[in-house]
Amino acid sequence: MMTQQLDRVLLLGPALLLLAAPAARAQECLDCHSQSGSTVLFKDGATLDVTIDKAAWEASVHGSAGVGCTDCHGDLKEYPHPELGDRSPRNLTLRLYTSCQQCHEEQFKKTLDSVHQRALAAGHKNAAVCADCHDPHAQRKITGEKGKLTAEARLGIPRTCSRCHGDIYAQYRQSVHGAALVTGNPDVPTCIDCHGVHDIADPTTAKFRLASPRMCADCHTDRKRMAKYGLSTQVLRTYVADFHGSTVTLFQRRHPDQITNKPVCYDCHGIHDIASKNDPRKGLQVKANLLRTCQKCHPDAGTNFPDAWLSHYVPTRDRNPAVYWARSAYNVMIPGVVGGMALLAASDFVRRRIDRRRHLERRHRPESA
Amino acid sequence: MSTPDSFEPPHSYQRFSVSDRVQHGTMVISFLVLVATGLPQKYIYANYAFLDGLIDLMGGLETVRLVHRWAATVLMLVTVYHVMASAHRVLVRRVPLHLLPRYQDLLDAVQAVRYNLGLARERPRGERYTWEEKVEYWSLAWGTVVMIATGFMLWNPVATARFLPGQWIPAAQVVHGGEALLAILAVLVWHFYSVHVRHFNRSMFSGRMAEHEMEQEHPLELERIRNGEQRAAGADEVARRERVFLPIAAVVALVLLTGIYWFVTFEQTAITTLPLR
Repeated sequence: MMTQQLDRVLLLGPALLLLAAPAARAQECLDCHSQSGSTVLFKDGATLDVTIDKAAWEASVHGSAGVGCTDCHGDLKEYPHPELGDRSPRNLTLRLYTSCQQCHEEQFKKTLDSVHQRALAAGHKNAAVCADCHDPHAQRKITGEKGKLTAEARLGIPRTCSRCHGDIYAQYRQSVHGAALVTGNPDVPTCIDCHGVHDIADPTTAKFRLASPRMCADCHTDRKRMAKYGLSTQVLRTYVADFHGSTVTLFQRRHPDQITNKPVCYDCHGIHDIASKNDPRKGLQVKANLLRTCQKCHPDAGTNFPDAWLSHYVPTRDRNPAVYWARSAYNVMIPGVVGGMALLAASDFVRRRIDRRRHLERRHRPESA
Repeated sequence: MSTPDSFEPPHSYQRFSVSDRVQHGTMVISFLVLVATGLPQKYIYANYAFLDGLIDLMGGLETVRLVHRWAATVLMLVTVYHVMASAHRVLVRRVPLHLLPRYQDLLDAVQAVRYNLGLARERPRGERYTWEEKVEYWSLAWGTVVMIATGFMLWNPVATARFLPGQWIPAAQVVHGGEALLAILAVLVWHFYSVHVRHFNRSMFSGRMAEHEMEQEHPLELERIRNGEQRAAGADEVARRERVFLPIAAVVALVLLTGIYWFVTFEQTAITTLPLR
């Protein structure tokens, strides 16, 4: 079997290398690599199956666009292939992924700022690179109209991330967002909607924390989207009006790297395990859950204390009437009192001007008479 | 033989004692600091670059909050001092409560409005304190009580929620901010007009008021002084009353000061919470 292929390569190989279209080159490679069982032995003792699923390749965005194998595997143009110098399969991936930038420069450059690249630079060889999320031999087209991600691609994102972040995926899958995603809901966020896609930032920094309320607000102040689920779009405004939110907002505006213990959205609502506000175990509309949440920072808080937080509701006559009436009272009192004072002062001022002029006139009249 | 001083009428009259003026000065400073540290906090949501900058200029939000509390403590101390000094004035020196509002003040206010509109022939004649000054004094007194009460709730929210409904805390925040704005605007309109714009009334700084000013603003008071109605109590009498007053005052002051200490140390929740885990 091997000899047969070798013959063919020896006969046609040089001609193809010079003349053939890239697709043809891929076909050439696939003659061997589509047959199962070929493996490469690395110096560290690991073996790598180098079989390519021909059907998957042909259906892939690269295969259908006619990308050639050697466009990425430039060191394997010769047959027999020169020995791979890499110590391990991972080292091979880490050597090859830089070839993605030949075509995907924009995305590649973005990854250079990502938390994954930083981890890689710090010596964590398993930190994700391009090929870990996008299998170059099988990646399907993920964008549809206007360059937007297809519904199918969105569904696949959490599963892609779960390959490394399994525990977080398990939480997300149970969350109000994750559970809705798998039913085909187009409104809920996947991993990349919060974390970004190629330039994924470190979510443990003070900067990420301070910026996070705006991130949640991107969707949660979108009237059209929230109306579908009967959710309030006042969540950001009411948060910013309260101590916690005003502190976080000010820091975010002036000192985006400021460390603060004031809560942001996810400190109370959860991060990947965000539950519906009515969830019996975690939902913050359930008072016991809210109290437990307050006590994370205010350990002495009693049963009344959670009501000091208005749960994102704008005060009305029926809900939080004390706040409503206090606000109404001052809305009347301030203009009333200050306006009254201003009128009195103005009338006094005018009157004194008139009095003074008359006084002067009276003093001068006898002389002129 | 000596010539009696009273033969030549003085050109100015004592209006405010050193104690009054020190109280006023302390209050002005604490008020200004409270405004400077409070107003930018109230308007964080409105995103004014100028107010944000002011917070940074004063050392950042956490510092501003601490300074606000220190200034509040100073205001509470001067309030306690004012209560004690007023008690001394009334109980020991038997000075009449000139500042108490009377029915006549209402009539004076009406007459002032009528005069300004040209409906009355004369301005109301001012007593030691005019109706305008009484409005100011009692506004300040009321405002201080409101600010201290709501300030306590904001400073000690966890403790407050033990005996009051939770929503009273955000309500207290609304009242604290609203009353602050009311106080600032009232000072700008009423106080500034009365003692800075109309004419610069220096008596709160110098302690004395010139005769022609007295004639203009406090003619009834001037009349009483000229008629020799300002009677000084006998020194023995005052000393006797003081011996009773001082120990009682000391106890009351101690209770009030303990109250302030309790106020400011009750809980630190609003300033210090558990660090992030």
